[in-house]
Amino acid sequence: MHREFPNVLGYATDIRVDQLLSVTNSNRQALGLSPLTYNVTLSQAAALKAQDMFQHDYWAHTSPEGKTPWTFIQQAGYTYTVAGENLAKNFSTSQGVVDAWMASPTHRDNIIKPSYRDIGFAIVNGVLNGEETTLVVQMFGAGSGQIADAQPVQTVVPEQAAVVEVNHEQAQLGEQITQVKEVQTIPPVESQIVVVAEPTPIRQVLSTMFSSVTNKPMINIPTVTRDVAFLFMGLLIGVLVIDGIIVSKKKIGRVAGHNLGHILFFAALFIALTIVRRGVLL
Amino acid sequence: MKMSHVNYIVLLIILVTGIWTFWGAANDKVMQMYIGVATAISYVIWGIIYHSLEGDLHPKVVIEYCLVGVIAIVLMLTILWT
Repeated sequence: MHREFPNVLGYATDIRVDQLLSVTNSNRQALGLSPLTYNVTLSQAAALKAQDMFQHDYWAHTSPEGKTPWTFIQQAGYTYTVAGENLAKNFSTSQGVVDAWMASPTHRDNIIKPSYRDIGFAIVNGVLNGEETTLVVQMFGAGSGQIADAQPVQTVVPEQAAVVEVNHEQAQLGEQITQVKEVQTIPPVESQIVVVAEPTPIRQVLSTMFSSVTNKPMINIPTVTRDVAFLFMGLLIGVLVIDGIIVSKKKIGRVAGHNLGHILFFAALFIALTIVRRGVLL
Repeated sequence: MKMSHVNYIVLLIILVTGIWTFWGAANDKVMQMYIGVATAISYVIWGIIYHSLEGDLHPKVVIEYCLVGVIAIVLMLTILWT
C-alpha cells in the first residue's frame, strides 16, 4: 500500500548531502584532521555506483559483474592516488548515517583517513531486493599532488598514514573499502552514461539529482512497527505478571512453564531491542 | 542455595550474555539475528532442563517454551528488518 500512497504510509527519511558533508567534516575536525572538500566528480561516481546497485539489484562493494568502486570513480573521470567507499541503506537521517559509520571501526577508518582530500555523496531512493531502499554512497579520494601534503592539522593516525606510504595495493578494511595506488593515467572507459561529450553538465545533473532524499509520510512504517512490537512485548509481560500473581494467590495447580522465566526472557528481549536503529552499513 | 535459584542464575547469565553480545554486534544485523535466535534456543533448552529437574516436564510445557521462543524471534526480526 505504501507504494501507492507514499505520502500517507511510508518511510520517513531526511538525508541531505550538505548535512552528510557537515557531520563528516565535524568528526574529522574533532580529531584535528583537515575537512574534506565536496567534489562533484566523486559525487557523480557515487551516483553511478548507486544506480548500478539498483539496476543490478545488489548490495555490495563489488558488483556481480565484478565492478569495484574504483571502476565508477574512474568512469566519472576522477584521477586518484587513494580512494575509498562507505555504503549505508535505510537510515532516516543524515546524522544517523554518519553516527553509524563512526561507530563501525572499518567505516570510521575511512572517514578519518588523513590522506583523503575530496568527498562525494549520492543519496538515492529505489527498490533493492524487493524492498524500498534509500541508499547512501560516500566516496573519498585524493588526486595527484594532494596526497603529498595530506597531513592532519594536529593528530596523526600512524597506522593509516603508514598504509598510504607503504601499501600501494588495494586494501580492504573489513566491510568498508579503500584503495591506494600510484598516480595513473586513466584509460578510456566505456561509459554507460554519456559523460564524455558533456561531462560537466551531466555531473552537475547527477550530483544534484541524488543530493537528497526527503520523505515525510503521515504514518512512518518503522516507527509504527517498532511501537506496536514494543507495546506487544509490554502487554505480554503485563499479562504474565498478572497471571503469575493470580496463580500464586489462588494456588492454582496447572501444567505450565514458569511465568518468572518468561517475564525475564521478554524483559531481556525488550532491553536488547531498544538499541536497534534503522539502517544497514556495508 | 536452592536448585531453583541456581537455575535462575543460569537463566540470568544466558540473558545477560545475550543482551551484551547483541549490543556488541550493533552494526551487524545478521549477527544480531543469530545472537537473538541462539538466545531464544538457549532459553527453550533452559526451560526444558529446568522442568526436567523439577520433575514436571510435560509436552505442553515444551510447546509453551517453544512458542515463547518463536514469538520472541518474530518480534526481534520485525524490529531488526523493518
